[in-house]
Amino acid sequence: MPKLGQTVEESTIVKWHKHEGEPVKKGEILFEIETDKAVLEIESFFEGTLLKIVVAEGQTVPVSVPVAFIGQPGDAIPEVKPVARPAPAVDTKSEHVAVPPAFAPGASTVAKAMVDKSVGRPPSGVRRPASDIPPPPPFSVKIVSPRARRLISECVISADPIPGSGPGGRVVEKDVRVYLEAKHYAEFKITPAAKNLARDNGVDILSVPLTASRERITVEMIQQAIAEKPKTMSKMRQVIAQRLTASFTTTPHFYVTVAVDMTDLLEWRKTLQKANKPFSVTDFILKAVALALVKFPALNSSTDGRTTRWHSRVHLGMAVSIADGLVVPVIRNAHDLSIAELHERIAGLAIKARDGKLTPDEMTGSTFTVSNMGMLDVEHFTAIINPGESAILAVASTRPTPVVIDGKIEIRSMMNITLSSDHRLVDGACAARFANCVKSMLEDLELWKSMI
Amino acid sequence: MEKYDLIVIGAGPGGYPAAIRAAQLGASVAIVEKEALGGTCLNWGCIPTKTLIASASLYWHMRHAQALGVSVAKASFDYAAMIQHKNQVVEKLGGGVAQLLKANGVTVLDGIASFMTRNRLTIQRSGKESVALEAARIIIASGSSAVLPAFLPKAATVVESRAFLDRTELPARLIVLGGGVIGCELACMAAQLGAQVTIVEILDDILIMLDADLRADARRYMETQLKIRILTGKPLEQIKAEAQGVKGQVAGEGVEAELLLAAVGRCPATEKLALDKAGLKPNAKGYIEVNAVYQTKAAGIYAIGDVNGGPQLAHAATAQGLLAAEHAIKPRANLRAQVVPSCIFTAPEIATVGLSEQDAKQQNRAVKTGKFHFAALGKALASGETTGFVKWITDAGTDQLLGAAAVGAHATELIATAITAIQAELTAAEFARTIQAHPTLSEAWMEAAHAVHGQCIHAPPRRRKSDDR
Repeated sequence: MPKLGQTVEESTIVKWHKHEGEPVKKGEILFEIETDKAVLEIESFFEGTLLKIVVAEGQTVPVSVPVAFIGQPGDAIPEVKPVARPAPAVDTKSEHVAVPPAFAPGASTVAKAMVDKSVGRPPSGVRRPASDIPPPPPFSVKIVSPRARRLISECVISADPIPGSGPGGRVVEKDVRVYLEAKHYAEFKITPAAKNLARDNGVDILSVPLTASRERITVEMIQQAIAEKPKTMSKMRQVIAQRLTASFTTTPHFYVTVAVDMTDLLEWRKTLQKANKPFSVTDFILKAVALALVKFPALNSSTDGRTTRWHSRVHLGMAVSIADGLVVPVIRNAHDLSIAELHERIAGLAIKARDGKLTPDEMTGSTFTVSNMGMLDVEHFTAIINPGESAILAVASTRPTPVVIDGKIEIRSMMNITLSSDHRLVDGACAARFANCVKSMLEDLELWKSMI
Repeated sequence: MEKYDLIVIGAGPGGYPAAIRAAQLGASVAIVEKEALGGTCLNWGCIPTKTLIASASLYWHMRHAQALGVSVAKASFDYAAMIQHKNQVVEKLGGGVAQLLKANGVTVLDGIASFMTRNRLTIQRSGKESVALEAARIIIASGSSAVLPAFLPKAATVVESRAFLDRTELPARLIVLGGGVIGCELACMAAQLGAQVTIVEILDDILIMLDADLRADARRYMETQLKIRILTGKPLEQIKAEAQGVKGQVAGEGVEAELLLAAVGRCPATEKLALDKAGLKPNAKGYIEVNAVYQTKAAGIYAIGDVNGGPQLAHAATAQGLLAAEHAIKPRANLRAQVVPSCIFTAPEIATVGLSEQDAKQQNRAVKTGKFHFAALGKALASGETTGFVKWITDAGTDQLLGAAAVGAHATELIATAITAIQAELTAAEFARTIQAHPTLSEAWMEAAHAVHGQCIHAPPRRRKSDDR
């Protein structure tokens, strides 16, 4: 299992592209893995025949353990024990301190992207903090006789709610019949296709709500029941859920909104585009933010609640929406980049993000994040601070708005930006000054003309 | 001003059942018809074509009965008499519709309806003064009409299907422009009566909406048995119409005939409705858009049948009309999706219902198929009707019967079993357990259901996976 980035400790194989016995060329895609940050295709480093797959699809293993053997047909395959990750129960017994990972003391670097969780991991070799995943439901110990089991399967119902009358609560055939009677199973008429579909998908027929006119249960009704079943979140969603809940519940957020007059900049941008300099609004916003952060180190800092760290470099995260999730690629040393360099980096990262090709290192280490919903037609919104950062800037859409200028009403292109700040690090006055600094830079055409 | 609970515009196969159903539910109903009760289906579509096809088919079978040991020495036909028979059938059915409407207390108004407001109509009547009507609910069932494309010359020798059916002479040679359902049906009819027929279709094949295996069997029969010349993938160009006939070019090849039948589609009939007065606007293709219960965007106004852009089939219009009428008078809580069959009265006949293999492929849906050819069926051999096959399309996971198709003699009747089985959500295994009477053509469905699981008795096992089409 390759180690794809500083902070990746384990990965899940989601798909094998080759099967056992198939020849493999160097550079061919061998399998796909899902880290907590992305799905990536892994190319073979070797040439030969895929002799044995050790780690099956869906299994999660630590990095650097063997996942398969490639060699010549007939080669002896070494004995390997499949490596399973330790059960969560082990974690709870560890000496782990229940501090949200990103804020743990003594971490080598405190600033982390939203989806990173290596920081704060105790050095004891325990692989996962207890808070990371919920414990599985208690193991069901229902004992069902073979005849009862067959009847349950024929009727396409769940065994769980059936009270058992045999020794040790064992469910026997009679119990199933009594249960079916009590639940008026005979009234649950179902079409043959719907019954097969329910069986294939583990839908209990008795859980399907009947229509008022007691019509037969149809394929459509079973499809609805399937859609309503709880489904495991994707790894990405689980990480988003855990990180943002931690941030929102442990960080005292407050919000400051300012309206930026984009009219002049947008007008000038048109002439730039004609001159073949197609800078986007995002480019200007990120450049202004990077410049402002240098002036306001408090907004580019981290805290664990007792200490604060000011970062001398600006690593800008930009939230990018992807299918069923969100990633935050990071532009390192954004304060050092010219607007042209920034433009290239933003475009490159955005494409990689949408294609799911970001490497874990490209998604970690941001010190401040910008979330731009300008293209989604919103007037104003607030964002949740990424764990380990002190603030996040939410950029809303630019829209024609009546504004009072010199006592007269004019229509200007106005854009609301809202800064969410961690009140432990930033006070209202500071946040207001920072937001207005970004605003005045975006409104200062001379500044941009001097840079381009 | 007279007031009704419901007014239906158009008394075709969608409109008149809607009016009757609403009356059955206790509503006061009026129906407005601009031409003839029964609409296109009864007067210029389904019924007249099927009448002519029945005559032509009988003549064809008389001429080709030698294989069964029967010879008819001097078989002949009188096309004018066939047309007359057709007219009688149409008249009788039209009279039946009038009686049914009357018996149900529906007011019938002859004239052209147009909206004054969302719930008021004015009816222009020929020779009488207009009347204004008001209704809480209005169902638009104005149908569609055949199109004569602008590139065709205006001449008596260039006709669309309606004018074709009124002619009392069959041309010796016929060009059919358009290889869709209407074009192919009339081409087969004319060919069975001995006309030299050429079909010109710009798309890659005739009846392109069907699965390729159905098309192949139908086309082969039409070309080899009926001697129809079928030119596909190329347009008809340089069309010249004279009093005596029509000439044209298809990719440099000359085509010539006494008559050209244009069967290139139909367009919705909305122009006289003054839809804007009701706050409605047809979409870019000219159809009135509706929701799942056929309500338009204007409150209280429904649109059913050809005019709403759904399948242009009489029975689809009827089903929509009944549902819309029930919804307009007594809304129902739950709707059940219905499968809509489609029948093509070519020689051989073709019928389909539900999902096709083409659809499944497009939807990336895993399906299995089971097919049985009539050539292996006793009854088909006995009657000398061995062209074609039936096929099931089933869900690869649940074994549900999702679609069915038949091509061959009596396919349009055979499909009935499949419609019921699919609507009832039967599985192939379940259907395979039914007992079909022997010897009948219906046995083919049972054999095809066995074939889904590779357990067909009267067909050799499949050798390779690649045979699995």
